[in-house]
Amino acid sequence: MNFELSEEQKMIQQSVERFVQENYDLPTRVKLSGDGVGFSKEYWNSMAELGWLGLPFSEDDGGFGGNQIDVIVIMEQFGRGLVLEPYLSSVVMAGGAIKRGGSDKLKQEFLSSLIEGSKQLSFGYAELQSRFDLDDVATTAKKEGDTYVINGQKSMVLNAESADAIVVSVRTDGAQVDKNGISLFLVDADSKGVEMESFPTVDGLRASEISFENVEVDSSRLIGPINEGFGILQEATNDAILALCAEAVGAMEVLYKDTVEYTQQREQFDHPLSDFQVLQHRMVDMFMEYEQSKSMLLRATLETVQDPIAAQKTIHGLKYLVGKSGIFVGENAVQLHGGMGVTEELRVGHYFKRLIVIDSILGNTDFHLHKFTNFD
Amino acid sequence: MDIDLSAEDLEFKQEVRDFFEENQMKPGEDYFSWRLEWFKKAREKGNWDVPKWPEKFGGPGWTPTQHYIWEQETAKATIPFDLPFGLGMLAPILMSYGTEEQRERFLPDIRDRKVNWCQGYSEPGAGSDLANLKTKAVLSEDGTHYVVNGSKIWTTLAHMADWIFCLTRTDDSGIKQQGITFLLFPMKQEGIEVKPIITLGGSHTVNTVHFTDVKVPVENRVGEEGKGWTYAKGLLEHERTGLAGLSRSLVALEKLKDNAQSITRGNGTLMDDSGYKSKIAELEIDLMATEYTELRSLASASAGEELGPESSILKLKGTEIQQRIQKLTVEASGVFASAWGDKPVGPHFSKGGMAGYLNSRYYTIYGGASEVQKDVIAKNVLGLTRSKTK
Ligand SMILES: Cc1cc2nc3c(=O)[nH]c(=O)nc-3n(C[C@H](O)[C@H](O)[C@H](O)COP(=O)(O)OP(=O)(O)OC[C@H]3O[C@@H](n4cnc5c(N)ncnc54)[C@H](O)[C@@H]3O)c2cc1C
Repeated sequence: MNFELSEEQKMIQQSVERFVQENYDLPTRVKLSGDGVGFSKEYWNSMAELGWLGLPFSEDDGGFGGNQIDVIVIMEQFGRGLVLEPYLSSVVMAGGAIKRGGSDKLKQEFLSSLIEGSKQLSFGYAELQSRFDLDDVATTAKKEGDTYVINGQKSMVLNAESADAIVVSVRTDGAQVDKNGISLFLVDADSKGVEMESFPTVDGLRASEISFENVEVDSSRLIGPINEGFGILQEATNDAILALCAEAVGAMEVLYKDTVEYTQQREQFDHPLSDFQVLQHRMVDMFMEYEQSKSMLLRATLETVQDPIAAQKTIHGLKYLVGKSGIFVGENAVQLHGGMGVTEELRVGHYFKRLIVIDSILGNTDFHLHKFTNFD
Repeated sequence: MDIDLSAEDLEFKQEVRDFFEENQMKPGEDYFSWRLEWFKKAREKGNWDVPKWPEKFGGPGWTPTQHYIWEQETAKATIPFDLPFGLGMLAPILMSYGTEEQRERFLPDIRDRKVNWCQGYSEPGAGSDLANLKTKAVLSEDGTHYVVNGSKIWTTLAHMADWIFCLTRTDDSGIKQQGITFLLFPMKQEGIEVKPIITLGGSHTVNTVHFTDVKVPVENRVGEEGKGWTYAKGLLEHERTGLAGLSRSLVALEKLKDNAQSITRGNGTLMDDSGYKSKIAELEIDLMATEYTELRSLASASAGEELGPESSILKLKGTEIQQRIQKLTVEASGVFASAWGDKPVGPHFSKGGMAGYLNSRYYTIYGGASEVQKDVIAKNVLGLTRSKTK
C-alpha cells in the first residue's frame, strides 16, 4: 500500500500550487470573474504550456498519459485558489467524452487543439426537467441523410459561452428517461439554430442556457456508438465528480486553516477566540470532515483507476460525503468568522459559496445518498 | 390546560384579517403612499400602527395572546415593511430611560415613520464582547456637548439613516461595562463618514461608520452618563425575542412545500422523494415543538410571571429553523441553485432561494451569535459557571 504521489505528480502539484499562489489572490479572482467570459485566456494558455490541459489524455491523442489521479492532484490545488479557468468542463468532461468515444478524426481535430489551448469545449447534460438524472434526456436528434437534426435545450452548461464546441447528450431512441437510446454529439457553438443565454453563477463562474432549434450536425460528430452514449456520459461525469470533489477538498483545507488562523488572532472577552473550547471542537470537526473527504476522494479515485464500473457505488458515496462536509465546513467557517465571514472582502465567503455550488453540480447529497442506498 | 382561543380572541383574529383584507395595496398604487396611509388607518383602528408599544405610550395595550395572533396574521398577509431600529429598539429605551422632553421630541417621528434610525453598537473590536467598545465621547469643558471620535461597524442601513443611537465610551477607568454612554445624533453632518460593506450575495445593507469630532449636545444623552450598558442590555433582550420569527417560518415552510411540489420527479414531485420528504418532516416537527415553546413563554408572560427558561432557547431554535428552510429551498432548486443572472433561470424561486440562504447565515451571527447565546443559557439558566482552577 502506498499513498505517496509519484515524483512527477509531486512536481505537478508544486507547480500548480505555485501558479495559484502567484496568480490567484482574491482581488484578481474577483476581477477575472467579472470580466467577459469570466476567466483569463492568458492563464488558460499558461496551463496549456505547462502541460496541464494534456495531462489526462493518452500519448496517442497528443497528451501526457496521465489518469484521474493526476487530475485530482491539479483540481485540489485549483480548489485552494478557486481557479476560474474551465478545466472541469473543457478538459475533464468534454475532453473525457471525446477521448473515450470520438473517432480518430474527431480526436485529432479537437483534442490536439484542446491540449494546446487553442480550442475550448463544454458539456451540456442537464435539462430543465432532468434535475440530476443523466438519463432524463428530452433533447432529440433525428437522422436525415448524413446529418442529425437536434431539437431541445440544455441547462446550466458551464463555460459554454467561451466554448468552440459543445458535447450534448441527446435522445435518439427510447423513452425520455432511459439509459438506452442516448447519444452524444459534438456541436459547434456557432452552428445555425444554437441560441445561448449566458449568466454568472453565485460562486463567480459562468453558465448558459442553450436552446437547439433544427441544429444540423454531421454524423462524424457522433461520440461513441449511436444510442449507446450513456456509458461514456457516465464515465466522463464520474471523472468530473472526482475532479469537483478534489476541488472541494482544496477549498475545505483553505477554510479550516483560515478559521484556525483567524480565531487565533481575533480577540473577544480578553481572549483569542481560539481559547473557547466550543470553537476548538468545532474546528476539530471541520478538520475531520476535511480529512474524511480527502480519504474518500482517494478511495474513489484509486478504485476508478482500477475499474471504473466497480467504482460506481463509491463515487456516489464520495459525492454525498463531500457535499455534506463541504457545506458543514463552509457554514462553520463563516459562523466562526462572525460578521467578517459574511463579507465579500474576506475569502471565506467565496469558498463557502463555491462549496454550496459544488453540492448542486452532478447530483447533490440527497441524490447520491439515494443512489448509494439503492445500488445493486 | 387548554389551547382554545377565547371568543374575544377569535373575534380579534377576524378583525385583524378583515383589516388586512380591506387595506391591501391596489393595483397601480404607489407603494410608499400606500405604506403611510396604511399606518394612518392602523392608528385609527386602535393604535395598530405601534402594536408593541405599551398603552401608556400610545400602543394598543394588547394581551400576549393578541400579540401572538397579530404575529401570525402579519406573517401571512402582505403588510408594509418596517425597520426595527426606531420602532422596536430605540423607542422602548426612550420609554424607560428617556426624559419627557426626549420622548416628545423623538417618539412621534418614529411612530409616523418619518425618521429612520440606525443602531451604532458594534465596533471592529467589540462584536460578541460588545462592552469592549472604544468610540470615545468627551464632554466639553462648558458641559454643553460631547465630542465623539471612533468607528462603528456592521451598521445596518446607516447609509439611509437620518439618526443613529450610539454607544460611546466616556470613561475607561473601571470595568468595561461601566463608562458607556448612550447618545443620539443626526447622521447627515460633518465628521460622519459612512462606507459600504458588501456582503455574500453582493448586496449593500451594512456599513462602517467613522466619527471625527462629531458634536453631540448633552440633551441628546439618554439617561445618565456611564450607564449606557444597562440601557442597551435591556434593548438586546428585546432584539433577541423578536428574532425567532416562528410565524414567518410557518408560512415559509408552507411555501417551501409548494415550491417542492412544483418540481416534477418521475410521476410525482420532489415532495414524493423520500430523502427530501423526511427532511421537511424533521423540520416541521421541530417547528411544531418550537411553536409551543413560544406559546409557553407567552403564557407565562401573560400571567405576569417572569419569562421562563424556555424563552431563552427561542432565538437559537428559531434561527436554526429559518436556516434549514432556506437550505431546503436551495436543494429544491437542483442544478439551478447557483444561477445568479438578472433573468430568472430554472424554477421561479431559485435565485431568491440562494439569496435567502446566504442571508440566513447572518441570523446566527447578529443579535447574539449562537455560541455566545448558549454561553448565556449555560450561565444564567443552568447555573454553570467556570470554577476557579485549583
Ligand atoms: C448582517 C448583519 C447586520 C448587523 N447589523 C448591526 C447593526 O445594525 N448594528 C450593530 O451595532 N451591529 C450589527 N451587527 C453586528 C453583530 O451584532 C455582530 O456581528 C455580532 O455581535 C457578532 O460579533 P462579531 O461579528 O464581531 O463576531 P465575533 O464576536 O468576533 O465572533 C466570532 C465567532 O466567535 C464566537 N464567539 C465569540 N465569543 C465567544 C465565546 N465567548 N465563546 C464561544 N464562542 C464565541 C461567535 O459566536 C462567533 O461564532 C450586524 C451583523 C451582521 C452580520
